[in-house]
Amino acid sequence: MTRLIRPTLLTLTLLTTAAAQDAQTVRLGFFPNLTHAPALVGLERGTFQKALGKVKLDAREFVSGTTLTEAFAAGQIDIAYVGPGPAINAAGRGMPVQFLAGASEAGAVLVVRKDSGIKSYRDLGGKIVAVPSLGNTQDISLRHILNENGLKPRADGGTVTITPIAPADVLAAFAAKRVDATLVPEPWGAALEAQGHKVIGSEKTVWRDGKYPTTVVIVNAKFAQANPQIVAAFLKAHTEAVAFINRSPAAAQTAVNNQLLKATGTKLDPRVLQRAFARTRFTTNLDLAALTEYAKLNVEAGYARSAPDLAPFIRK
Amino acid sequence: MTTLSPDIQPTRAARGQSRWQTLVTQLVGLIVILGAWWLVTDVLKLYPPYVFPGPKAVWTEISYGLWGTGPQDGKLLSAIGGSLRRVLTGYVIAVLLGVVVGLLMGAWRPLRTTLGAYLTGIQSVPSIAFVPFAILFLGLNERAVLFVVILEGFIPVALAVSGALLNVPPALRVAGRTLGAGSLGLMLRVLLPASVPSILTGLRTAWSFSWRALVGGELLIAGAASLGEQLEIGRNTANVALVLATIIIIGVIGGLFDSLLRAAEGRVRRDYGLEVPQ
Repeated sequence: MTRLIRPTLLTLTLLTTAAAQDAQTVRLGFFPNLTHAPALVGLERGTFQKALGKVKLDAREFVSGTTLTEAFAAGQIDIAYVGPGPAINAAGRGMPVQFLAGASEAGAVLVVRKDSGIKSYRDLGGKIVAVPSLGNTQDISLRHILNENGLKPRADGGTVTITPIAPADVLAAFAAKRVDATLVPEPWGAALEAQGHKVIGSEKTVWRDGKYPTTVVIVNAKFAQANPQIVAAFLKAHTEAVAFINRSPAAAQTAVNNQLLKATGTKLDPRVLQRAFARTRFTTNLDLAALTEYAKLNVEAGYARSAPDLAPFIRK
Repeated sequence: MTTLSPDIQPTRAARGQSRWQTLVTQLVGLIVILGAWWLVTDVLKLYPPYVFPGPKAVWTEISYGLWGTGPQDGKLLSAIGGSLRRVLTGYVIAVLLGVVVGLLMGAWRPLRTTLGAYLTGIQSVPSIAFVPFAILFLGLNERAVLFVVILEGFIPVALAVSGALLNVPPALRVAGRTLGAGSLGLMLRVLLPASVPSILTGLRTAWSFSWRALVGGELLIAGAASLGEQLEIGRNTANVALVLATIIIIGVIGGLFDSLLRAAEGRVRRDYGLEVPQ
């Protein structure tokens, strides 16, 4: 036993010593979605790298909060743009996570396939609805919508089939009629709309009149403690990126489109992007009340047994 | 078939004793494993709980998931129900299909040399590899899961049945013919009954293949209550305790059914005189 434990402890000691020194690299996680525009714009314009100076920025792209949280848990990501759902789950499980800033609000829509016959939320009964992944922010919102309209997911004895599909693949799933509806972050809602599908839940009617966070910035608490200057520099760059988006939306849209092209291999029609932008608000503000309500919805959805008090997780 | 000669056969008492010994050894083994797990996670705290939770956290998930009474509890129980219903449906269809295909292959040589060889090849493809095709072919639904379960389950049955028919002693065929059995009669009343022990071995292999294929399929085709979905939810909500709880349940159910089938197989083998009855 000791023969096994000693090297493990030694490795752990080495790891903690390494973390105590100033980091040479910041590993950033994000998704190629419009709701992550501050990350996309900051990368495209070099805002982060400029603010970080000699510290190298290692940006890693993810397709869902799930894989990002796994990477976060494994200590492979220091700072991440992520939906409040996975962030709250991470906090609730005792991961070393701190909420650093807000990034975007609203920006998620409920789209139905043009020939699905769905006109309102109530018609979702018996249908197949896609979300980016089970337990993510849109999934939690969807379950709340169903609950408010007297519907239940099939796994809980209801009639609505909730199936996880990466947002970029939802267009193909709609074309193949494999799903009837989806709750997706922008720009995928606007892209579906451009193909003739119908938005029945706008960013405002999905929840809380659109006053809810869709993307937040989180940081590994251990990393933040060891590298306060790096975190401050990153936060400054993030604030700059958000300010740039609000000041020059057209230039920001071009920057986002360039990053989407790199990530997904396709560029969006500028008009689609413009429409998606109009449904999203970019802000650095962290709405603790909305986050707390999210934590409660997470419990309602059955993903946690209790809602954590989030106040201690917000970085001062 | 090797059978023990009477003089070295264990007595009934000795057999009972060794059964107890096995049980006690297994129990001690379980306690050692749980103890080591507890030591690593709760005492030495080598890993943070969100990476490797302790036995107590996993037990909490199991107890809430199986007999919790809160509005969000009991999900593992309904997942077990959904998964069992799915696998049993698929398994029954797989067995029926496997017996028919196996009989045809056993009766007709060209089919055996073609289809039989292909089935062996298909069997070596991991079931998860068929899932994307099943989704595209049948859609994101239960039929896709059933497709994979049936595909995985029917092959071992078909191969066992056709193999068993070939291994029936020629004397039985001759005797059947002499007593006036036609082709169908010979097949149904002589060859098939004679093959039952080998077929049961095929059924047991088919069960473990089907069960593994089911969980793999459910993992990718979420929607209804299933153990695969519980794994996925555990993963997505950073709930490693739920992931481990689901893995344990999958293993326990798989093992229970396997030992049931093993008992049936042992009984049939004794009834057929392949093992000397005690």
